[in-house]
Amino acid sequence: MTSINHHLDEVILLDYHRGRLNAGQSLLVETHLEMCPHCRTSLRLFDAIGASMLEEVVPVDMAEDALELALARIERPEEAPEPRVAPELPAYLKGIDLPESVRAAAFKPRYWGAPGVWMAHLDAPKDGRGLTYLMHVKGGMQMPVHDHQGLEMTLVLTGCFSDDRGAYHPGDCVSCEAGDHHSPLIAADDCLCLIAANAPIAPRTLLGKLLQPFARI
Amino acid sequence: MGVPEALILRIAEGRDRAAYAQLFSQYAPKLKAFMMGRGLTAIEAEDLAQDALLNVWRKASYFDPSKASATTWIYSIARNLHIDGVRKQKRAQTLPEDLWAPEPEQAPDTHLIGVQDAKTIGVLMQTLSPEQREVVRLSFFEDLSHGDIAQALSIPLGTVKSRLRLALLRLRAAFETRAESKSV
Repeated sequence: MTSINHHLDEVILLDYHRGRLNAGQSLLVETHLEMCPHCRTSLRLFDAIGASMLEEVVPVDMAEDALELALARIERPEEAPEPRVAPELPAYLKGIDLPESVRAAAFKPRYWGAPGVWMAHLDAPKDGRGLTYLMHVKGGMQMPVHDHQGLEMTLVLTGCFSDDRGAYHPGDCVSCEAGDHHSPLIAADDCLCLIAANAPIAPRTLLGKLLQPFARI
Repeated sequence: MGVPEALILRIAEGRDRAAYAQLFSQYAPKLKAFMMGRGLTAIEAEDLAQDALLNVWRKASYFDPSKASATTWIYSIARNLHIDGVRKQKRAQTLPEDLWAPEPEQAPDTHLIGVQDAKTIGVLMQTLSPEQREVVRLSFFEDLSHGDIAQALSIPLGTVKSRLRLALLRLRAAFETRAESKSV
């Protein structure tokens, strides 16, 4: 695997560590972590920071019978963990080299947002205006210029795309904040990305505006 | 009181109940206090502390003292339970032995933090400015969004994030320097 040049923002990683991200954002962070030793090291650092605070904390007494309960619980046989049934990989993802985290997630049927572009939404409970989806774009396409109204994180799974700030390869993560705009160019090979957005995007061009209702992003 | 690392190894090797009782008495009240700080009620925090220590008993054989200190390992178990509770959904990849497992391929720019213990970080925290230490402390201790932290400190949200980023970068740099000097 080529080394990853575009990492997740430390503040996002910390929010993941704190359990403050929604299911789609967490999936994106977990997938990046699977691919990125650098960010896994950050997570270990956070555990060590948390542990240093745990050492300092002023203890609060447990209930009187807490130890008795604890000693009783370890004698009970451990319930077998519920068998985890991995969701059936949709036909449109078969044959693509996917990270385990994505493979284990459930996606809805794909739909075509524009010629050469399909999308598939994560099958997760609705969380505010947040949207998480896979986007597959045919090699060589230029995406219409669009603005961002909230935080949008894009993780490259296969292929490569570039914008005015750089080129992104598998494992690379690009975050757009509200107010950013760009027009990504897809390299020769087809590109599959996982995208977690806080708010819908706003196309700047007429073509983009015309396509948006169909693209549902 | 035994050294917590040794207690966990005694549990792993001999299912040592006396060691477990000691470990429970050392950590359960701290976990309870910490989780109350994260916004849980006393009862929820007590249950989480119970569950975390139960997991320590069950997973003791995964503990590797060359990778993490006892406190770091126990913290990571409690953190995963807390997040699972918050997210109310079970996912495959939440177990600490994943995160603390050996790295398969070691890229030259990455360093294992593992052996660093919580006390080392406590010392490194002292090298931060008081303002940086404050945002780090609030981010870990309290169940506040960065926006809430900004409000609590009466500073802009961007300042909270930049302070946090700087503090984490400094801690990471210090951490890696120490890891290097240890391994040489």
